[in-house]
Amino acid sequence: MATKKKSETKQSGQEPKKRTTKAAPPKQAEAAAAPVARRKSVAPPAANPASRRAVVIGGMRTPFVRAFAEFMELDSIALGVAATKALLERYDVPRAEIDGIVWGGVILPPYSPNLAREIALDLKLPHRVEGFTVTRACASGLQAVHSAVAAIERGEADILIAGGSDSTSNAPLVLPNKAVHALAPLAFGKAKGMSDYLGVLSQLMPITDILPRKPEISERTTGEVMGECAERMAKRNQISREAQDELAYRSHERAAAAVASGRFDDEITPVETKSGRVSADTIIRGDTSLEKLAKLKPVFDRKAGTVTAGNSSALTDGAAAVLIMSEEKARALGYKPKAAFRSFAYTSVDPADQLLIAPAIAVPMALERAGLELNNVSLVDFHEAFAAQVLSVTQALASDAWAKERLGRDRAVGEIDPARFNIHGGSIAIGHPFGATGARMVTTIANEFALTDAETAVLGICAAGGIGAGAVMERVD
Amino acid sequence: MSDFLLELSENPQARKLIKTLGLPLPMPEVLPRATGPYEDRPFEDKNILVRATDAFADVLAREITRGGGNAFVVGEGAALTAFEEQGKAWGRPPKAISLDDKHDELTLHGAVIDASDVKGAADLRVLYDVLHPLMRRFAKHSRFIVIGRPAEDAAGPAEAAARAGLDGFVRSLSKETGGAGNTANMLYVEEGAEKRVGAPLRFFLSKHSAFVTGQPLRITNKVKGDEDPVTRPLEGKVALVTGAARGIGEATAELLAAEGAHVVILDRPADDGPASVVARNVGGSLLLVDITDEDAPETIAQRLLEEHGGVDIVVHNAGVTRDKRLMNMKPDWWDSCVDINLGAVVRITDALLEKKALREGGRIVCLSSVSGIAGNNGQTNYSASKAGIVGFVRALSEQVADKGITVNAIAPGFIETRLTAAMPVFLREGARRLSALGQGGRPEDVGQAITFLVTPGAVGITGNVLRVCGGALVGA
Repeated sequence: MATKKKSETKQSGQEPKKRTTKAAPPKQAEAAAAPVARRKSVAPPAANPASRRAVVIGGMRTPFVRAFAEFMELDSIALGVAATKALLERYDVPRAEIDGIVWGGVILPPYSPNLAREIALDLKLPHRVEGFTVTRACASGLQAVHSAVAAIERGEADILIAGGSDSTSNAPLVLPNKAVHALAPLAFGKAKGMSDYLGVLSQLMPITDILPRKPEISERTTGEVMGECAERMAKRNQISREAQDELAYRSHERAAAAVASGRFDDEITPVETKSGRVSADTIIRGDTSLEKLAKLKPVFDRKAGTVTAGNSSALTDGAAAVLIMSEEKARALGYKPKAAFRSFAYTSVDPADQLLIAPAIAVPMALERAGLELNNVSLVDFHEAFAAQVLSVTQALASDAWAKERLGRDRAVGEIDPARFNIHGGSIAIGHPFGATGARMVTTIANEFALTDAETAVLGICAAGGIGAGAVMERVD
Repeated sequence: MSDFLLELSENPQARKLIKTLGLPLPMPEVLPRATGPYEDRPFEDKNILVRATDAFADVLAREITRGGGNAFVVGEGAALTAFEEQGKAWGRPPKAISLDDKHDELTLHGAVIDASDVKGAADLRVLYDVLHPLMRRFAKHSRFIVIGRPAEDAAGPAEAAARAGLDGFVRSLSKETGGAGNTANMLYVEEGAEKRVGAPLRFFLSKHSAFVTGQPLRITNKVKGDEDPVTRPLEGKVALVTGAARGIGEATAELLAAEGAHVVILDRPADDGPASVVARNVGGSLLLVDITDEDAPETIAQRLLEEHGGVDIVVHNAGVTRDKRLMNMKPDWWDSCVDINLGAVVRITDALLEKKALREGGRIVCLSSVSGIAGNNGQTNYSASKAGIVGFVRALSEQVADKGITVNAIAPGFIETRLTAAMPVFLREGARRLSALGQGGRPEDVGQAITFLVTPGAVGITGNVLRVCGGALVGA
């Protein structure tokens, strides 16, 4: 089924319409519009810029490490440099041919928010390798890949590195604006006499108003932190503590198995730090059990809650990078591409309702654009922000009522077969450096295509602001 | 004398003090009113008691859960299943509630009692059975809605009696609980019009209807059209509001604009100052015409067609009082009052229809008055004109139903405006106290009711007179 659809897409991708109008000078094309349209169906398919395909060659990432631990001294740029450097080495990328870097990040360093260009500079890449940085909350890594794919498919580039990184350990402490405004005369050297300094001091009272705020991942519009939203989603969708712990357990179990089997060896690079070499993910707990998970206390609602540190993704430092080329260029350079993208889809919902439910809308959108059904994709990979959130999304996808009311469809999108779902674990076990997760998922799926006979995969990511992202990948042989 | 007591009652410190001292001062409940346009989830986190028959189970489940409400469903069976299904789509699982148990921890914010299945006097007991055990569990500002079938459509006198009985129950419930700012209203839904209770439910169950209580509305299938966006329902619509320079007209213009309508502010040329301010504030257009001029209907229709390509919503709000007892009334007072309040309304509507300026799916709302219905000392002319509106609305609604147009009237009770501020203080205070909510309404309360009637979702309501009176004693 999937193969058949694929060939259909290929054909429609090579639709000759644009070429016919482009080949002819505009005026002639207008005059001859009707005959051209009639001839269209008999014209042989031919290569044209619109049919360019971007392909994934491979990806590399740093180990994902719990925040405020081994990677404390590495900021998002340094982490990005580590992942990108490993990618360049692993795939022996011709440096002179790289067109640019697209990077995703959530907590961007205020001193240099354009991570992409800084990574190129630190890697001493040729100066023409420019870079831009994208942010779409936790979908930033996927967005970076998407932006690179789009640029290549539009013919604007041939080789791009896309990825993302985040260092929660290096989140800047932010001074309240009151303090910033009061201190401005001093900072910008405009204060002249003692009285100016006193004036500044007087504005800084009371002291509690000007202390730096604890960095929190809270929604700007609702003030809720993510965990509270997940807790509410658990209640709204009646997701039990047991189901959440089970999902978390499976995530750890599968990720640990992948590590043990060496499945991740080709996607993780060791990183040198002052205190030593870090060569493996630090959050995965192969030795955890349902009993251990059940003992943890709920964090966000201590009395009646179900969301614990065990069934949530942890604050993580890390980076992931993906090498993307035009298929033509890849073949010319002798690369063996692993994957391509059939579709991307984004949407959002009211953050005050169910903040992290939107993948249940974005994923069906992406599948529809790719001409696929949930039950005939080979792999399903969802970012696990919280077990409660993942289960809310999968429950919605399996619900007729959700399909009718929220998607305007007659029947449920489908049940997800656990055997095809997050087969090597997800963010709960592996960790979740916000900007890197999308690129990590793309890498793991691309490798899965290379290692198995899986044909297609659908990705789903929830993000702050009520955003949901979906993407459909297909194997390239 | 200023309204010292009223102001005092709105001051939270003063309220506390008066309560602590046990002073015998009447303090009307401060009504929470909607502060913005329609929301996706008007019942967010509100606990709503529901009793539903099979006929209404689906539509009630959808509206209440989509609106963010937590449903407490009486009994099991089809209703509970419907709520469970919708609960999955909107993340609002229902709770089944047993009437035999105690529910001391429970706080309810509203109730929707579907009594469309009453067949005889004994069946009215359902109202008692569902509400009596839980009456103490309702918070202040709760909303009660009873759904029934029209008595006129009953199979026989016994069924008609039971159906009509619902109305009396609702009116008394409104009086009984109005002191706490609660409202109770009745929806008579014709067979086949069940799907059309959505918008009325959102209106009566939300803060948009703070001053409407004790009112029955009839919902029919007479008029075509079903589109029902919940938020910004008036997007792309052109609305004409007469007498929009101030008061109820101004409040209505603001509310219509907030729901997305382009509002044409019509008032007399002499009021160009305030009218242009309103037009600017709502991002609308100005139309300065004296509606009693002979060529006014023609001019209005022409201008609407030329400048806006027609009109979708017409609010006949312009009106005057010329109060004198009949024996003292001069002829020109009679004439001007009846002509402005009724004659001009008829002429302008005729011109809009004749010139096809009012588009398909249009909405007409005329302003009647509670004193028009009930009669009032010194208002023979005014009451004649305002009761005339009721007749006009009923007849016209039948005529234009096939064009998808609805025609309704709003009958405001005591509303705090320029007109009522001029009343003698004791009369004024007395008038306020004569309502179930124990206070006067505000221009925006009337505007809210008008806005509701002109939304696409109110397609089931035509030929109705909706009173915005806080459950006034007179003219029931």
